[in-house]
Amino acid sequence: MSQVLDIQEMQFWLDKVVSWGQADSPDTQRDSRLHLGRLKEFLQQVLTHISNTSSTTEIMERMPFLGQFLGRLCWNSYITADDTSRSLLFQCLWGLYSEHPSTAVERKANQWIQKVLCQLTTEEDSVAMPHLMNGLHVPPTEYHLKVLRKIVTMLQGSIGRSCSSLGNTNERCSCDSVLATSEACVPLVKSSEAAPLVSALLQRPVTCVKAALSEHFLDACSSAYSSQRLSLEEPAAVSLWYHSLSSLEEAVLSLLESVLTNTGSTPQKLEQLIAQSMLPKACAQHCSIFLVTNDIFRSILKQAEGHEPVKCLIQTFTSCFLKEMTVLQSQKCVSVKAFFPQSPQRLLVPLLTQPSEMPREAWRHHLNWLSSSLQRLTEEEEEDAGERSSTTRGYHTVFEAWFLLVQCARWVQAALQLLVSSGPVDAGPLLWLLTFYYHPTNRGHGRALQLVRAREAWSHLLSLSTAEAGPLPAGHLQSLVTLVSTQPQQPSQPPLLILSLLIGFTVFFPQSLSKSTEILQMVVGRSGLVDEAACVLCSLELRLNEGSCSSSNADGVHLRLKALQNTLTHMHAA
Amino acid sequence: MEAVLKNLASTAELLAVASHSAAVEQWDERTLSRAFHWAQYCEHVFFRFHNNQAIRGAAEKQLQLTAQRLRAALPDHHQVAFSDLFRCRHLLLIGLLNNPKLPGSIMKILFDTKNPVDTKDNEYQDVTGFCSRLVQYKSACKVLRPLTDQSLVGADAEVQGMMLMTRLSALLGQGSDACRTEHSLDSVLQGCEGQEEHFCLVIAAALLTPEDSPTTIASQDFLLNWLQKKHNVLQGMCSALHTTLLGNLAKKHVKFRGAYTDLVKRWASDMEYSVNDGVWFQTHRSPTVSFQKLSEHFQTLFEACPADVEQELTALKISDGNFDISGLSIWGDLLSVLTK
Repeated sequence: MSQVLDIQEMQFWLDKVVSWGQADSPDTQRDSRLHLGRLKEFLQQVLTHISNTSSTTEIMERMPFLGQFLGRLCWNSYITADDTSRSLLFQCLWGLYSEHPSTAVERKANQWIQKVLCQLTTEEDSVAMPHLMNGLHVPPTEYHLKVLRKIVTMLQGSIGRSCSSLGNTNERCSCDSVLATSEACVPLVKSSEAAPLVSALLQRPVTCVKAALSEHFLDACSSAYSSQRLSLEEPAAVSLWYHSLSSLEEAVLSLLESVLTNTGSTPQKLEQLIAQSMLPKACAQHCSIFLVTNDIFRSILKQAEGHEPVKCLIQTFTSCFLKEMTVLQSQKCVSVKAFFPQSPQRLLVPLLTQPSEMPREAWRHHLNWLSSSLQRLTEEEEEDAGERSSTTRGYHTVFEAWFLLVQCARWVQAALQLLVSSGPVDAGPLLWLLTFYYHPTNRGHGRALQLVRAREAWSHLLSLSTAEAGPLPAGHLQSLVTLVSTQPQQPSQPPLLILSLLIGFTVFFPQSLSKSTEILQMVVGRSGLVDEAACVLCSLELRLNEGSCSSSNADGVHLRLKALQNTLTHMHAA
Repeated sequence: MEAVLKNLASTAELLAVASHSAAVEQWDERTLSRAFHWAQYCEHVFFRFHNNQAIRGAAEKQLQLTAQRLRAALPDHHQVAFSDLFRCRHLLLIGLLNNPKLPGSIMKILFDTKNPVDTKDNEYQDVTGFCSRLVQYKSACKVLRPLTDQSLVGADAEVQGMMLMTRLSALLGQGSDACRTEHSLDSVLQGCEGQEEHFCLVIAAALLTPEDSPTTIASQDFLLNWLQKKHNVLQGMCSALHTTLLGNLAKKHVKFRGAYTDLVKRWASDMEYSVNDGVWFQTHRSPTVSFQKLSEHFQTLFEACPADVEQELTALKISDGNFDISGLSIWGDLLSVLTK
């Protein structure tokens, strides 16, 4: 019968509370802290048991020691200081309280509960306190709140003092109290009065070997923060992530969730969401936070590689992170390389450099270099992989190169912009780069085949755009629709590469807006890919917002982009 | 004024009902919240008029009459004194929690443990969880208090010292005569019987409160004058408090330094030298002070004001014959300890 509590366990807890007694000795506190989690579970079981039993008389018959157990717990301040335990404890007492007592046992239980609660509220430990407070006209609640605030301020001050005994384990220093204070704060992390102390503990610089924070404390903070029962200012939250991996993971996953459930939101909103998460700043401050965050992105990307919103998130996140790095680098010297240990080092600086940091004339050379480097890298690894049939290392390098390109996807947009605006000249490397971005491997994604299709689509687009005035050449149009509508290898995925070429042409090709709109309407309308095209247009807008668009024609491009977006919205509505 | 007196009488009736009547069985959240508001109103009345003798007298009389009337119906009823009104909500709480007829639903409201955030929209947020919050504050203090043992004064004494300053400032600010203020201070001291050592800490904390305003300075000055008249308290402070704390007080207040110096000089002059044991000892003082402890006190004063102490001890040594042999003059021996 699930209702019956384990007698042995009841006995264990009864012995425990008897051994704790009423004294608030350090030993009692330590043991209470060790058992707090299990005790909460047990109290929850007791509560379930009580609510499943019809009357207090029946509970008392089955568990004659329950009253003693709950009564004693009321005098363990470590338990009553903790919001959850106190709540469970009171709920258990209410469970034993009979609204309409019908037996002597029930009447007695009611009286007892009222007495316990009355004592708990009105009894004072110090004999002098009530007299003194009467003389000074201070009501008890106000007095206790003031003392609590005072203690918090005192402890905040004492743990805030810096320690100079770096590394010397024999010397006594103020750090001795850090561990003890953090342990004592375990039941108080949800209390708004203790919040300044909790925050100060989290932010204490690790200058001394003895200044470690208790694991219990970090776990308690982490769970209180994620359930929004503990609010932390930015530096304290960053410290929490620095100290507690689980809390960092939770923060990153919650950012991912909020971004991915808000698909279709504007680039500005995305950037705002990311900045609000405080994670880019935390990443810039602590390399370890960036490495963990990046690892989570890496594995999400592996699971959802073709998912454009994930790629957008990663790209925007990286760009926010780099901005924070720039701010930080002006204050202290930080090496970016330490943040990207797995990336191919040759590509790191060229990719992390923003297109806006380079004169437009240098783009062609830079992009050709990037394309050929990536091409060589993939060829080498794919040859290697061919020789050693079961290798993963080779793909690992390709993946890392691709991951870095996803993080720095402004160069992909720059390639598209350059490809379209410079016409048929030297299109090979740029087309390859774009193909690699959407189809990183040959084996899984059929990159070679996709490249052929991209070239084909591109030449059709060129012919459409350079055609004489009049109706659009039907042959090229039809071929384009066919290319967009079929997707070999990964039929479930939208043909983003071809779509992005199409969108790139309509936005950047020097032709009238009406012609661009007509091409877009024709191809998208016939292939039925309105949503997908809107999504590609949106990620293009995102990249343009990040300042990679050359300034002279930026306004024109934005106006055109908005107009095309309107066209798609109307098509969607129609 | 009549309206205020009438309200006081009604609240006294309310407290009586809350403590002794079965009528509380009919109470609900709204009744409870209104009762708390009335109690809070009385707290305001207390702080507004407790220094006004005329109004206070009228209020006392009104409360007395009400109590007489109430006792007819509720024999267990005790009169509420005007001086108790500052904690009227607490009195209401004690009354309710001790009333055997208090319904469980009212207790559940008082001990509600919901997050304060959740109760923001609650109309009755002031009473909801009132007891739970009090229990939380007390428990949190108990959990954290042992960690502050490095503080010489302690959080409780520090808060009480600050409150003592507030009370003194209020008394002096309201133009109460010195005699009445002294009387108030005396009655606070009387309340601390058996806890004198703690009271010394409270006085020290009050005197060490930062002087951020003219009223603080005036209050501290008043406290110092009072202390000079209370030899027992001063002696208690100098015997019980840590010398670091005494040193801080001596550095901050010249008046305290003077009183402290006079006291330890008196202690020193009571010393006799035992030729057999080769030590200074006290004959007729209880508790006795050792030479070691005495030199610590002089060391403390020396650190607070080196020139004065050295000059004074030298003069006293000269008056004793200015011998450089130990055991002949207590001043000479203390001086040699200080200048070692």
